[in-house]
Amino acid sequence: MDTPELNDYRAHLLDALDDQPRRAAEERPGFLQVLVNHERVGSLNCTQPNPTFAYTTKDRSIQHLEIRSESGVLLGGCVAPEAGQRSLRLPVGKGSLILNIQNHFDGGSLQLRYEVAPGWWSHVVSAIGLPTGTASTAAPIVPVWTMATTFAQVVLAVGVVALLAERVPNWLGSEDRAHQLEEELAARQSTQDQIDQVHRQLAQLVEAQSTAMAVSRAEQDRIAQLNTLVDTVAHTQQKLSSQVVAVQEDLKTVKTDVAQEVQTGMRVAVSAVEADRDMVRQDLQSIKSVNETLIKQVALLESRNRELHARLALTSLEVAKANAAAPKPTVVAKNDPPKDTPVPTAVPTAVPVSDALREADRQAFMFWVAFQDGTTEKSIEDLVQEINGIKKGPMKSGWYSVEVNLPNPEPPDRFLESVKRAKIVKSVVTSKAMPPAQ
Amino acid sequence: MLFVGEFATMTSKMPDGKAMRDGQIFSARLNNVVTTEREFDELVTKSLPELLDRATSQTKRFLRETNQWGDDITHEKLALRWGYELVERFVVFGRTEVPCRPFFLLDSLIAKSFSQPDPLCYHKELLTPVGRFLDGLASRAVVSRDALIALFYHFYGFSQAHVVKLLGFGQAESQRVYKNFERWRQSGWQRTMNETGLTGSEIEVLEEELRTRPDHLNNEVDRLMPVLQSHYRKSEPEHYPCLSEQKWGQLFHDDYGHDYRVWHLAFCRDCFLEVADRRQAELSSGSKPQVNLHIHPLKKGGVLALFGGDRGGRQHGHTRAQRLSRTSA
Repeated sequence: MDTPELNDYRAHLLDALDDQPRRAAEERPGFLQVLVNHERVGSLNCTQPNPTFAYTTKDRSIQHLEIRSESGVLLGGCVAPEAGQRSLRLPVGKGSLILNIQNHFDGGSLQLRYEVAPGWWSHVVSAIGLPTGTASTAAPIVPVWTMATTFAQVVLAVGVVALLAERVPNWLGSEDRAHQLEEELAARQSTQDQIDQVHRQLAQLVEAQSTAMAVSRAEQDRIAQLNTLVDTVAHTQQKLSSQVVAVQEDLKTVKTDVAQEVQTGMRVAVSAVEADRDMVRQDLQSIKSVNETLIKQVALLESRNRELHARLALTSLEVAKANAAAPKPTVVAKNDPPKDTPVPTAVPTAVPVSDALREADRQAFMFWVAFQDGTTEKSIEDLVQEINGIKKGPMKSGWYSVEVNLPNPEPPDRFLESVKRAKIVKSVVTSKAMPPAQ
Repeated sequence: MLFVGEFATMTSKMPDGKAMRDGQIFSARLNNVVTTEREFDELVTKSLPELLDRATSQTKRFLRETNQWGDDITHEKLALRWGYELVERFVVFGRTEVPCRPFFLLDSLIAKSFSQPDPLCYHKELLTPVGRFLDGLASRAVVSRDALIALFYHFYGFSQAHVVKLLGFGQAESQRVYKNFERWRQSGWQRTMNETGLTGSEIEVLEEELRTRPDHLNNEVDRLMPVLQSHYRKSEPEHYPCLSEQKWGQLFHDDYGHDYRVWHLAFCRDCFLEVADRRQAELSSGSKPQVNLHIHPLKKGGVLALFGGDRGGRQHGHTRAQRLSRTSA
């Protein structure tokens, strides 16, 4: 976007930036505002004697420091490292601002001190070589031209003093000499008093200094103790660290062993389970083959049974025919059996044959019967007794297996028909392989 | 890269070819190491347009990336203003950082500034003329005590004497307040308006609206003040929270925390109204204080009637000027 208004604004801001050093130079260092991290934290009044300012922050380090005049002009500032120290001397007005920043990661402290530039008299005094109070704080580097000016000033001052020394006695009359002497004596006395006072102050200072030295020694002792303590703590910490490392290695070894053992156990268990599974499979196969053999045998037995039934029927028919052909043979045979007839030999054998047939008829006949819903166990027991049967095994899927000895040579179908006619019977089957599905 | 593109665009907008060539030369030099303070000062003085453009484009990028950018002149001015403030710091701080590469140093300063929590006072409603006026005043008051003292007048219509009474100042501090008002009147207000980017016509429009619809404008100021003050109040030391009524009373009774009074009351409407209400006896006023916008600084010797009870158009219109009693020229 390029509009005249925007260009004007930009040009104005550039002018303001260009003008900034001049404005800063024009500012008199009176009341300085201190801004830390763009926040105003206090002020420094440079018109007071020995102006200093201290600030401590505990939650954030001092990253930006700005020194502004009361009207907001930026006079100086710096960026400080997040942790560490930064010391600077910033020229402000005719003096200089000495700043010292000490940062930690969780806070920092700031110290500011304003030093007024030494005046021409200080230069004279320093050029002469007299000690001054501000000599230690003055700027260490003095340019050559400044030294020349100072020297000229000293020469001028010496000349003026010499002239005065020559002229003053002429100005004053001899009658004033006595008065001058008195004043001189009073001045000496006053000076002596001041010297005594200075001595006393010096003595006090010496005393204070000795006290401070004692305190300092005590502090040094404490620091030494603290250092020892810190060393001990560091040593203990190292030991702890090594122990922690050893324990960690042990833990790693134990973990590896446990994992190996678990894997071995798992392998053994899996192989055992597989072996068991094979055995069970083999058992199942053998049971299956046995079952098939049994089924075949049952089928064979059934066919034989049918054959026997057919023979029984045939035999019964022959016996009936034989009985019809020889009337009352049993009476004759019992009382006086005929000796010449060939037939009687057959009669005595007729009774055992009949008995044998009956015995054959009494062979077990098994069938399955289902009862109506709600039939009681007692009714079932009564029916089984009525047909002279025996229940074989428990009920399976609603079917009872019953074994009976058929009382006469009537075919099983007739017997089953008679059973079916019972009210409580629902269904009857003769499959002998296994109970029929319902 | 967005930055390079914008920077190139801005540089090519230089009015003549020579300036553009010079800009390219300085651009190359700004990437090199500067070894002495003198060299730094010379280079920076000649490269101010490039430095401003670089800082402005980075500010734009920040605004875009935080979805705060709009393609209009207001946003362009906002970016320029922030770029200006960044370069101003760079010019002063950079002297203490030599040897350095000026562009790198500027970039690091900008990055550090934008990585602070909530670095810009950005609110859409502060982009209106009245919003920008308030923002400019408050932004300046953070770094200038003159602007800070003047806030009492611009926001509430408090004159020098009333500020002194409200804050309970003694003789020495009263003199400072008067000095603050004087400097603000002479140059501070105009410089602030210029640096905020408010044109003369925009200020006239504001004046006109204040004359015709004072209640509307004052209500608008009343609504925007919390947004503005909550942002700039962070410039106070963190141990300067809002005080209870009882503690305010104790502070005035025991006569301490003068700095606290100035800073907090200028930047906290609620506490200001509470304290002003409490100190009505000292202020010799019968009505409650309220927001009373003033665009221009108080003229020399002008004394306002305190706490105008009715803020209606009549009092803010032509009659408002008549209520100023001229005690001096």
